[in-house]
Amino acid sequence: MLGRTLAAVLAAAALACPAGAQEAYVIGVTGALTGPAAGTNAPPIEGLRLYVDRLNAAGGINGKKIQLTVLDDQGEPSKAAANAKRLLTQDNVSLLVLSSLSSTFAPVIGETKRANVPLMLMGAVCPKEVYPPADLLQFCTTAYAGGYDSRATLAFIKETAKEAVRIGFAAMAIPLSRGEIDYAEEQAKTMGMTPVDKEVIPPPTADYTPFATKLKDANPNWIFSWAPWVTQVKTFEALRRLGWEGDYITWAHIEAEAELARLKDGKFYVIGANSLFQDNLPIHKQIVDEAKKANVRYPAEQMTEGWIGGLVLEVVLKGAGWPADAAKIRAAMENVKVDTQGLRGGPIEWSKDNHFRTRQYYRVYRWDPAKSTVTVTKDWVAYDVK
Amino acid sequence: MQLIVNITVLAAIYALLACGYVLIYRVSRVMNMAHGELAMLGAYLLYTTASLFVGHPATAIAAAVVLSLTVGVLVYLLLMRKMTGEMVLAAILTTIAIGILLRGLIVLIWSAAQQHPLQALKFSNPSIELVGGARISTCAALMVAATILVYGGLFAFLRFGRWGVRLRAGGQNPLLAAQRGINLNAIYALAWGLSTLTGSIAGMLIALDSGLDQTMVVIGLKAFAPALVGGLDSLVGALAGAIIVAGAEVLAIHYIDPLLSDVVPFLVLIATLIVRPWGLFGTREELDRV
Amino acid sequence: MSRQPRASGYFRTGYEQDLALIGTRLERRSLGVFVIALLAFPLIASPFQLDLACQVFLACVGSLSLMLLTGYAGQISLGHAGLIAAGAFTVGILFRETNAPFWITLPAAALVGALLGIIFGLPSLRLRGLYLAVSTLALHFVVIYLGGEYESRRGFSTGIVIDPPRLGSVSISDGRAWYFILLAAAAATLLICLNLLRARTGRAWRAIRAHETVAEALGIGIAGYKLLAFVISSAVTAVAGALFAYYRGFVSVEAFSLFLTIQYLAMVIIGGMGSLLGALLGATFVTIFPYIIETGLLALPGAQRYASLLFAVNYAAFGLVMILFLIFEPLGLVGIWRRIQSYFLLWPFKHRAASGSRR
Repeated sequence: MLGRTLAAVLAAAALACPAGAQEAYVIGVTGALTGPAAGTNAPPIEGLRLYVDRLNAAGGINGKKIQLTVLDDQGEPSKAAANAKRLLTQDNVSLLVLSSLSSTFAPVIGETKRANVPLMLMGAVCPKEVYPPADLLQFCTTAYAGGYDSRATLAFIKETAKEAVRIGFAAMAIPLSRGEIDYAEEQAKTMGMTPVDKEVIPPPTADYTPFATKLKDANPNWIFSWAPWVTQVKTFEALRRLGWEGDYITWAHIEAEAELARLKDGKFYVIGANSLFQDNLPIHKQIVDEAKKANVRYPAEQMTEGWIGGLVLEVVLKGAGWPADAAKIRAAMENVKVDTQGLRGGPIEWSKDNHFRTRQYYRVYRWDPAKSTVTVTKDWVAYDVK
Repeated sequence: MQLIVNITVLAAIYALLACGYVLIYRVSRVMNMAHGELAMLGAYLLYTTASLFVGHPATAIAAAVVLSLTVGVLVYLLLMRKMTGEMVLAAILTTIAIGILLRGLIVLIWSAAQQHPLQALKFSNPSIELVGGARISTCAALMVAATILVYGGLFAFLRFGRWGVRLRAGGQNPLLAAQRGINLNAIYALAWGLSTLTGSIAGMLIALDSGLDQTMVVIGLKAFAPALVGGLDSLVGALAGAIIVAGAEVLAIHYIDPLLSDVVPFLVLIATLIVRPWGLFGTREELDRV
Repeated sequence: MSRQPRASGYFRTGYEQDLALIGTRLERRSLGVFVIALLAFPLIASPFQLDLACQVFLACVGSLSLMLLTGYAGQISLGHAGLIAAGAFTVGILFRETNAPFWITLPAAALVGALLGIIFGLPSLRLRGLYLAVSTLALHFVVIYLGGEYESRRGFSTGIVIDPPRLGSVSISDGRAWYFILLAAAAATLLICLNLLRARTGRAWRAIRAHETVAEALGIGIAGYKLLAFVISSAVTAVAGALFAYYRGFVSVEAFSLFLTIQYLAMVIIGGMGSLLGALLGATFVTIFPYIIETGLLALPGAQRYASLLFAVNYAAFGLVMILFLIFEPLGLVGIWRRIQSYFLLWPFKHRAASGSRR
């Protein structure tokens, strides 16, 4: 009788204590590891994991390891909310990282607000709340940004075009892409370009030719597309098949580098905030080595966003010290300056009001048929974020 | 002119996929909701054989075709055969479940990233200039040619081929056909094999034309509408339905709103179900034989 | 009423006893224990488990309504996700446009569901089986399209955020509060379904499902009862959608895909057609299944690497389980449950007594 009670008490105690309760920074990650959004959102999480494993192998930060709990939300808002709830209330994370579709933002932000835990968006598009004046709990390291992307692209087009610009637009039928393209259309008018057509293409389309036909019929000489990569590239391929010869510029998602080499088209430009691996900087070599050692599932050149997230995380945790709870980490995040070592055009700086970055840098790449390689068409241009 | 070309290409896609639905339904009265996934599987098989038989594209294509035929037959023999005699909902759900299983397996084996069988086969896809300034890509032209060939072949087979006649007999009256010595299991397996074959051809050509990823499943679902509009047990109907739905879709995209492209096939479907539920060329009794 | 063996003998002397839900002492006691367990659960559960339980209750409401429509009235409907979306969007739209409180939005959702039920049900008057399923499928896509259009046109780029419902000045957002609310909702739905089935409507539905022509010959108004099945089922489903919207605090069209319909159909089939208990069991099974897979997968060595495969494994496993149930256990979980039950009730015998003593 006594033996059984004792055993029961011990079992209860064992269950009550969290398994392996070492001292560590507990960071939660929810993202679209699988599902339709995985192509853009899963590699950043892998990159982050890569960086954190490297940090932990070197002894951690402030002597403590980082415990990364990664959950898959498949790009679905309800799953993301459930993951967030679990990470915040059960695992008691002091920082939540999100890399998933924009539709998952609202529920996850709601959960983090309730738990008063900061949220770092890494790999997912930055919402307006991180621009100054920034929301208290939301931070973003992702490369692309609504508003600035269009302005930079249009500036590049205006600079590069040799004649009057007749510009066409292609968006995917998701609200963010549509919103950005609408904004770009407005901006184009003020910059003296003539918007001739704007196509909004539903996500799962069998054949992009009908949409490309409409675009081509409007006879643009430049086309700008800001959407998930599949829409951007398939519209382009359909246009080329129809015999359209103009210049096409689009956002450099993580698939861009490999696709530039596949398409081999001299008039296909990608504009982005991350440097491509073909630049072969020391940081790129380092990432490739680490990826090879860890046998990562995705190509090494897609690790950039995650690596940048890791760089920022390191600086944040160093600044927060130990022991660090959610409030201290948030305070540390309001005072961040991270050297991206060439992955971006400049450092990432966060302040109390600006949780995005103080300057956003852009670069344009294209495939050079003469040199048979990807080249920089326009080097870093900075935009102040106000 | 380009519009007509676009309609033709889309109609070819739908027709090739729709004839798969029709084949199975006509012979065994089962609605194969996994057709899209089977088509996608065929395309992925092509991608694999292309990577295996580098430099021998003909072998790769032949191997993929044979493999997809086998897959169709196996799906029937192992799974659908056990569902004969069950209620309609159970049969539909079994095919849906097969589709889900296939989707999961495909992602497990090949990953969800976009693949390019065209590059693996080392083909190129130049566009051909046609009359009136319209352009069509080679693969799309191949698709139209394939549709014509497949339909011609199927018509000839069903009318004149020995097994074709057996297929039609089994579809008309299974009991009588069985009593006349026709092996029902064999013809059902044949129907499934042929259906998967045609679906795979469609899938492969779509993948060659514009890349291979998970969105092909949606195309499979949209191709369901033409099959129904034309009549689920009529090949001619499938062709007619494909042309109607493709025409409606492309015209809607061009003149009304591009966002309708997803919904137009189903609107046409609803209209058909209201006006003439058994389709344009379907047989009327199909309605009550449930 | 059922051919299931009972623990007691047959002592009924009136029709009320025949219709009664709880007949024997054993049934009363086990029900009492079950209710106490349900009520005590929030005291010992972790927030994650509470959330899981809430998801199960939401799924129960949806699967009970689908069971009414498909399992009892025999009308195949592939438009379930569209109805849930309709309920959720009603709440979202009313909340955003007019800031309506929940005691207006919930009945409004039920009303919208009923109206949509008439639309979804009209084809059932002309079509049967496969064609009916396809027409409901087509309507599902139309509803989803309309929802997406609303979202984009009104500028809700990332979905509609809904504040938690307020009772006076108290806003309901605590996990435990939601647990009891959803438990009450599921229990209420169960009672409604039970009562509907015990009454004339239920008998009419069963007759229609068994043999439509004969039912008509017996004088049952087919059209009316079919439409009634659609209307009631859709209204309940829309309310489920509305509760879902409030629980998540968020509505977006991506959550209502065809896969959701398939999940509910799986609940009905895996649970066992023609049985409300089946709906409940199926709902529990399908909701918990992905988490079981996840736990199982993470327990393997090298777990974190497989995390990226989780979705695909979930999908494949779900399809596989559905196929296995459809092929090997057509009676579903209820069939398994009843087999276990009769094993214990009939022991040491293996079968019921032969004909002669009717039970």
